[in-house]
Amino acid sequence: MRGTDKLGIAALVLMLLGGAWLAAAPWIVGYQPAGEAWSAGTKNEFWLGFGLVAVSLTGLVVYAASGLRSLAAAKPDLGGDTR
Amino acid sequence: MTRRIAGAVTAFLGVLAGSWLILTPFALNGQVADRDWTDETWTDVSTGAALVLVGLVGTIAFVAALYQHLVETGLVTPRPKRVPAPPAEPAAAAPPAQDAGDPELKALLGPLVSALTQDMERERHDGRQQPTPAHYRREGL
Repeated sequence: MRGTDKLGIAALVLMLLGGAWLAAAPWIVGYQPAGEAWSAGTKNEFWLGFGLVAVSLTGLVVYAASGLRSLAAAKPDLGGDTR
Repeated sequence: MTRRIAGAVTAFLGVLAGSWLILTPFALNGQVADRDWTDETWTDVSTGAALVLVGLVGTIAFVAALYQHLVETGLVTPRPKRVPAPPAEPAAAAPPAQDAGDPELKALLGPLVSALTQDMERERHDGRQQPTPAHYRREGL
C-alpha cells in the first residue's frame, strides 16, 4: 500500500469519527436537552453526521473489498477457489 | 483503481458536507447576526472546517494514488520534466545569434539550421553549384 493510499484511508477514518462526533455533539455539548423536541440545528447535525458515518464507512468497505479482490486475483491460491 | 475512485468521491463528499456544516448556523437562522457565537455555531463551524480540511487531504491523496496507479499500468504517460536546452553549436557560416525570439524555438531550430549550414558548406567545398529552381526543373524534381 502506498503512502498516498494510507493518507486517504486515514482521512476516511477521520471523516467517520467526525461524523460520529457530529451526530452526538448536540447532547455532548449540551445545547439539545434530552427528552425535548429536536431543534432544526440538532436534526441537521444528527442526520449529516449519520450520513457522513455511512458514506465514509461505505468508502472504507469498498476500498477494503476492492483491495482484497485484487490481492486474490494476483495470488489465486488466496481466492478460495479450489477447482 | 475502483477503490481509489471510491475513496476520492467519498472524501470529496466530506468536503461538501463540511462546507454545508460551516454555513448551517447562518442558513438555518440558528445564529443571530451581531451576537456572540453560540455553542452550536462553534461546534458546526469548527467541525465543518475540520471536515473540509480532512476531506481535501483525502481527495488529494486518493487522486495522487490513482495517478500513480495509472502511470504504473501505462494508461497515463507522465509529462517529461523540462530540461534546459543544450546550447546550440555555433555554426561557422551562421549569422550571429539574435537576442530576440523564443528560446524554445531557437533550441528546436538550432540543430536544423546548423545541419543545413554544414550541408551548404560541404556542397560549396565539393565545387557543386547551388541548386536553383532551373536546376530542379532540369532534374524533374
